Amino acid sequence: MASKRQASGLRRENDPPLLILISLAEGPKHGHALAKDIEDFAGVTLGPGALYGAVTRLEERGLIEPLGSEDRRRPYQITSAGSTALAGALADLRRVTSVGLARLRIDGHLA
Amino acid sequence: MKPADPDAAKLLRWYPRAWRERYGEEFLAMVEDNLDGERPGLRFRLSVAWAGLRERGHRARLAGQRAGPPMLSAVTGRWWTFFVAGYVFAILPYELEASSGAAQGWWVTAALAALAAVAVLGGVCVLASGLLGLPAFGRFLRAGGWRQIRRGVAWAAGATVVAGGGLAALARVKGSMTYDQLSGSWVFFLGSFVTGLLLMAAFGLWANVAKATAKHLDLPVRVRAGEMLLASVTSAAVLAMLPFTLFVTSATQSSLFQLLLGVVALATQSVVATSRIRQALRRGRRLRARAARAR
Repeated sequence: MASKRQASGLRRENDPPLLILISLAEGPKHGHALAKDIEDFAGVTLGPGALYGAVTRLEERGLIEPLGSEDRRRPYQITSAGSTALAGALADLRRVTSVGLARLRIDGHLA
Repeated sequence: MKPADPDAAKLLRWYPRAWRERYGEEFLAMVEDNLDGERPGLRFRLSVAWAGLRERGHRARLAGQRAGPPMLSAVTGRWWTFFVAGYVFAILPYELEASSGAAQGWWVTAALAALAAVAVLGGVCVLASGLLGLPAFGRFLRAGGWRQIRRGVAWAAGATVVAGGGLAALARVKGSMTYDQLSGSWVFFLGSFVTGLLLMAAFGLWANVAKATAKHLDLPVRVRAGEMLLASVTSAAVLAMLPFTLFVTSATQSSLFQLLLGVVALATQSVVATSRIRQALRRGRRLRARAARAR
């Protein structure tokens, strides 16, 4: 499972690639719109350097693809491989989260 | 289209050229959206510079990975195999003659026996590989495949004729000179070297024809796995000829350096050959497993 995650480049819940895929799962977006959306739903601010670093890697891995545009702002959309990788990464996160929550309940830390 | 802000455009210099050409415009558009008319601050500049340098590092690593295997394969790859085969076939007749003339140590006899054994092993593997693929090759020819390979065959046949001419010329020179004269002759050395290269080209071109043909053959999975294993053993056998030839020449030329070189070559080839045969076995198992899953 870990190797699958590494192959798709998705590791942690605040990883720029994961956040970008989650954002694009809603529909195509360009760089600035991606950064705004990620800030809204995750509270993570991605600068142009970090965002475009992740966009470059995701495109190299075939997880996202650019759409044609007359404007300088080129939108990206998630590919089917990207959707599969995102689903896998989120399932991993859900499993880890549920284990963590269950353990907290057992220890009596969570009401 | 609105031109990029020159102040923001300076940030791009941290990125590699290929990246700038692909992402530059959209990146600058995002930078301008972020800055909203303000000048980029120090923290912003530093974060972009860091990202650009990381991108340069990433590209350099990718370039290194791409350049690595071909550089390595120049030593361990199939052209090295052809070079060894060409070299051995070009010089071996004279070394054999020299080694048979005088009384030699047991290691020369052992090296010659080992050389003969690996040469026979390589030949048997090539023959077995051809026989395994023969039914599929027949079907390929009947379906009009000759047109697809005739050019490659013509080149390989031409190179073989030229290399054969080189060997014949060497034999003529050899007939008119003693072994000591041959050893000190630059013309003979150069002729052997060029003939070795011609043989290397001929072997390589035939191997290319075989590879191009194999792409068109409808081979059963077991045969494909067998072909991969045979190819790895053939390559190992050819490469093993180099150290054994060096053992023979070290004796005929009383060269400690060649003996040491032979030992190093034998150790290296043992590691490379083992790795290649294991790799071929693994690939064969994977092929069979994939075929079994598909059934």
